[in-house]
Amino acid sequence: MTTLPIAAPRATRTDTPVAGSRRWRAGLSQTMRAEWTKLASLRSTRWTLLITAAGTILVTFLASHGAVHHPKGWYQGFDPTNQSLAGLAVGSLVLGVLGILTISGEYGTGTIRSSLAAMPRRGVLFTAKVAVVGLSTLVLGEVLSFLSFFEGQAVLSGGAPTASLGQAGVLRAVALSGAFLALFALLGLGIGTVIRHTAGAIAVFAGVTFLVPILFNSISHGVARFAPELIFANSIAAVDRQSNALSVTIGVVFMLVYCAVALGLGAALFDRRDA
Amino acid sequence: MIVTRGLTKRYGNSVAVDSLSFNVSPGVVTGFLGPNGSGKSTTMRMILGLDRPDAGSALINGCAYSELAWPLREVGALLDAKAFHPGRSARDHLRWLAQANDIPPARVETVLDVVGLSAVADRRAGKFSLGMGQRLGIASALLGDPGVLLFDEPVNGLDPEGIRWVRHLLRDLASEGRTVLVSSHLINEMALTAERLVVIGRGALIAETSVDDFVARHQSEAVRVVTPTPQRFVAALSRAGARPAVNDDGSIVASGLTSADVGELAADQELTVHELTPLRASLEDVFMELTSASVEYRSHDHGAVPDALPTR
Repeated sequence: MTTLPIAAPRATRTDTPVAGSRRWRAGLSQTMRAEWTKLASLRSTRWTLLITAAGTILVTFLASHGAVHHPKGWYQGFDPTNQSLAGLAVGSLVLGVLGILTISGEYGTGTIRSSLAAMPRRGVLFTAKVAVVGLSTLVLGEVLSFLSFFEGQAVLSGGAPTASLGQAGVLRAVALSGAFLALFALLGLGIGTVIRHTAGAIAVFAGVTFLVPILFNSISHGVARFAPELIFANSIAAVDRQSNALSVTIGVVFMLVYCAVALGLGAALFDRRDA
Repeated sequence: MIVTRGLTKRYGNSVAVDSLSFNVSPGVVTGFLGPNGSGKSTTMRMILGLDRPDAGSALINGCAYSELAWPLREVGALLDAKAFHPGRSARDHLRWLAQANDIPPARVETVLDVVGLSAVADRRAGKFSLGMGQRLGIASALLGDPGVLLFDEPVNGLDPEGIRWVRHLLRDLASEGRTVLVSSHLINEMALTAERLVVIGRGALIAETSVDDFVARHQSEAVRVVTPTPQRFVAALSRAGARPAVNDDGSIVASGLTSADVGELAADQELTVHELTPLRASLEDVFMELTSASVEYRSHDHGAVPDALPTR
C-alpha cells in the first residue's frame, strides 16, 4: 500500500452547506439512524436479545408449569395473567442493562468521542439515544409480553384456571407490561449516563429497582412496593392486585418519575461534562 | 482554517492549556509540537467541542464546532487510537458515522480502501492491532472528505511503512488545500512532515512559525575547544565576544563564533589548541532545550541531555 489514491475522493466530495443555514444540517433523524445502526451492529445487543428471549420463555414456562395441578383451594385469588408474565422480570433486568450499556459502553470504549464528533449538539445526541433505546425496547417488550402471556396460558390450560385477552384488565396488564420493559431500559440509560461506568451503573440499577427498597422495607413497612420491580410485578402485570400493591395509575406515575429523574439528571450531566 | 484565541483549560489547580492563541492555515501541514502532557490533546479536544474551555474560543472556518452544519463533512479528527467499539466491525463503525452526517454509503468503501482495511472490514475492531486501529481512526477522519483535519499522534503504533504512508497522506491532504493539524512530541517527525509549527509547553505557546524559520532561529552553532590552557582561552574568547563555557572534562564550548573565528583567535593569541570541533545542535536538542522549562514529567537522568549543547 505504498501509493494510495487519496486525491481520488475529490470526485465524491459532498458539498458542504453554507454554515448557519439551519435547514440543511445534521439533526435528530440522522442521529437516530446512526444510533440504530450502532445498537443493531453490536454483538452484545444480539446476545442481550437472545438471553432476554430465552430467559423469558424459560421462566414463563417454569412459573406457569409450577402452577398447574394444585388442589382447588390453592387457586384462591390465583391470577393467571400475573402468573404468565412472571418471566418478564428477566427481561426487565436484562433490558435495563442494555440501556446502561448503550451509553456506558461508549464511555468505556471511547466511542462517545466519535458520537459527539458526528453530533456535537449533545441534547440532540441524547434525545436520539433515548428515542432509539425507548422505541426498540418498546417493540421488543410488547412482543415478549404477549409471547409470555400466550405461552403461559397454553401451559396453564393443562390444569389450572386461564385468562384471555378479552377479560377485564388482562389486555391492559399485558400491554402495559411490555411498555414497562422499555421504561426499565430507559431507567438504565439514565443511570448509565449519570454513572458512565458499566459495573457501577449496573450496581446502582439493581439497587434502585429492587434491592434498596426491599432492604428499607424492614425499617419502614410498605416502602418495597415503590420499588420499580415490585410495581412491575404486583401492580402492572397483575389483574387481581394484592391489597398492599400500588394502584396501576400510581405505579405508572412513580415509574415515569423515576425514569424522568434518571434521564433528566443524565441529560443535564451529559450536556455539561467533558467527554 | 482553525483559529484559537485565549484558549484555557484548568483541571483543579493545574492549568492544562494556558491562554493559547494560534492559527492553522489551509494548504500546509501544521505540526502541533510539545512534550507529552503539554496540552496538545486537550487543545484538540477543545477545538472539537469535546472539552469545554474555561476561557477563550476555538473556531473552525469561523464557527464553533457545535455550530457546524455537518460536522464530519467539515472536520475530520483522529483523536485516540481507540474511538470505536471493539465489538463492532470497521465497516459498521464507518457506516453509522456516515449515516449520522448523511454521507453516501459508498464513501465507507472508499475510505476503507484508502487506509487499506477493505479485507478486514467485517472483522471486529477489537481484534485489530494498534496500527490497524489507527488506520480505522484515519478512515473515520477522512469519511466526510472534510476540509479541516486534526490528527493526534497519527503515527503511534504504525510500522515504518505505515509511518511513511501517513506522512504522504498528510502532505497530500494539505496540497489539496485542506487545513491539516498534526500533533506530535517528536520534532524530527514534524520536520519531515510539517511546513508550519505550533510549539507549546505546559499549555502555553512557545513558537508559531515555519519549520525552516524555527530551525534557522534555534539551531545555534558552537565550537568545542580542548586546550591545555583553558583559563587563558576562556578569557580570550570572552574578549572576542563569544559566550564560552567550560565542561566538566575541561573542554570549552564557545557559542557565537565559527570554528574559523576560534582558530584565528588562537593563532592571534598564540594559544595551543588540541582539538577544535564545530558543533551543531540537533533539532531534537533544540526542541528539548526550548521546552525543558515546560516539561511536565521530567526524568532525573541528566545523561539524556547531550553534552554537545553549550552549557549555561
